[in-house]
Amino acid sequence: MDQAVKSNKLVKTYHSKDVVEALKGVNISIDKGELYTLLGPNGAGKTTFLRIISTQLMPTGGDAEVFGYSVVNEAEEVRNHISVVPQDVATYNNFTPWEYAYYFARLRGMPKPIAKQTAEKALNSVDLWELKNRMCQTLSGGERKRAIIASALSSDADLLMLDEPTSGLDALARRNVWAALRDMVKEGKTILLTTHMMEEAEMVSDKLAIINKGEVTANGRLDEIKALIQEKYRVVVEGKFEKLSDYGEVAKLGDRNIVYVKTQNEALELLRTTLKMNLRAEASPVTLEDVFVKLIGGINNGNH
Amino acid sequence: MAITKTLKDTLIIAWIKSYPDFRRNPLMLLLIAMIGSIPLFFMLIFSGGGMLIHGLIGAMVSSVTFIGVMAGIQDISWDRYVKIREMIVAMPVRPVSYALGIALAPLMLSVPSLVFFGALAASWGVMTSTATLWTVLALIIGWAAMSAIGFMISTYLFKASMMVLNNLSNLLGIGLIFIPPVYYPETMLGSFSWISVIIPTSNVAGLIRAYTGLMPLSTETIIIRWVILIVTTMVFVVLTSLKARWRET
Repeated sequence: MDQAVKSNKLVKTYHSKDVVEALKGVNISIDKGELYTLLGPNGAGKTTFLRIISTQLMPTGGDAEVFGYSVVNEAEEVRNHISVVPQDVATYNNFTPWEYAYYFARLRGMPKPIAKQTAEKALNSVDLWELKNRMCQTLSGGERKRAIIASALSSDADLLMLDEPTSGLDALARRNVWAALRDMVKEGKTILLTTHMMEEAEMVSDKLAIINKGEVTANGRLDEIKALIQEKYRVVVEGKFEKLSDYGEVAKLGDRNIVYVKTQNEALELLRTTLKMNLRAEASPVTLEDVFVKLIGGINNGNH
Repeated sequence: MAITKTLKDTLIIAWIKSYPDFRRNPLMLLLIAMIGSIPLFFMLIFSGGGMLIHGLIGAMVSSVTFIGVMAGIQDISWDRYVKIREMIVAMPVRPVSYALGIALAPLMLSVPSLVFFGALAASWGVMTSTATLWTVLALIIGWAAMSAIGFMISTYLFKASMMVLNNLSNLLGIGLIFIPPVYYPETMLGSFSWISVIIPTSNVAGLIRAYTGLMPLSTETIIIRWVILIVTTMVFVVLTSLKARWRET
């Protein structure tokens, strides 16, 4: 069995004032040793999926297996293999990063010497070793987040699940976390990540799924996802250019326009034309964000 | 093996919840002792010290139970708020370890003030070795009852805000410790003295007074009071377990 996670028609419906279908039969497979990202807008169902897989929440229908164990019927077995960093998690103010990493390792049943080793490794991997004995209340928001991530890393679990772990972190701290996650993958760990940050998804994922309104819109490797749309290049044109739509689909962002074209030659032709008109223009391959916006709502959805 | 892991996890969680306060917030220990001592001050002023020994029994009960009910409500809701509970649910930790650990932490924090008040009572000659044993047992069950009440409230009001729960836990602590006959003998309530038997805090205080000879009770009455204390505790535990869900549905 090479799959770490396999969900089968996972359904979750919340019955509060209104009935909300958070997941509508989601099928996702994650191979062992890969970093898999769930990418979606707020309210897409990413957190619900992660909470079901991490045995915090019962599904309304369907099931999922984690290393062959059912999250519905064999939750205790599943918990032996996983570790979770929830979204918007906060710290105990009078705790230190060392205490987080060490005691969470102990709670997983590790003997003291092993727990000390894994805690040290986890704190080093998120660049917190120097601050290990500082109380969390004296740390910055990003450092506190990294302390929590260290507690998950110190678990030595086979599957790490992180729900938007880098939200609120600055660029350097984010890269530290990404590096730590890629190191974990190199060591054979499987990681399930949720994010709404395209850059993060592009930088760290082996595979990803775009999830929207409780359904998987697309999944696969980054190049496979990008191949789902015909347009391969984007040209950003600044200034007034009336016949841009002749070149391809246009997304208006105030005084800027993004024109999506299918080939490199089409992109170059548009660039030449704009330069002749003394307008600023820049061409590049389409980004994941372009693909994401097109798949979940259409390129013109952001227009005002 | 499973029992050993359950016990070990209980102690780790209790340690996590109490050790930082022991080490970095020793004023917390003083605060626990002060909360228990405040009524003693007024008793000294207004009764000229005549009721002080009853107040001392109340201070011992207060040390264990006041913080117990607060922890039951505030720790659980705080863990939910900061999402530490979500991390623990996804770990190989049994819910019983988590609940016992959370309940045990305030007991560890209250040990210094309990020892202080107990030593004072002993110096006044009311704590024989037999009385000490029964007192410890009554306090442990009182702690269990108040923790169970705290858990029950945080379970049934799990959608309430932190602010509401904090206020509720303070009100409950005051209502169950400073109003019923915990600091004063229940005989002062006259025909309403039966009330003290159904409230765990005053029941515990009454039992301690009986064992220390401050309030003579027949053996039958003592047995009935123990049964009521244990049954009350069990009722709160059962009510909590009926509603509590380790995993959300």
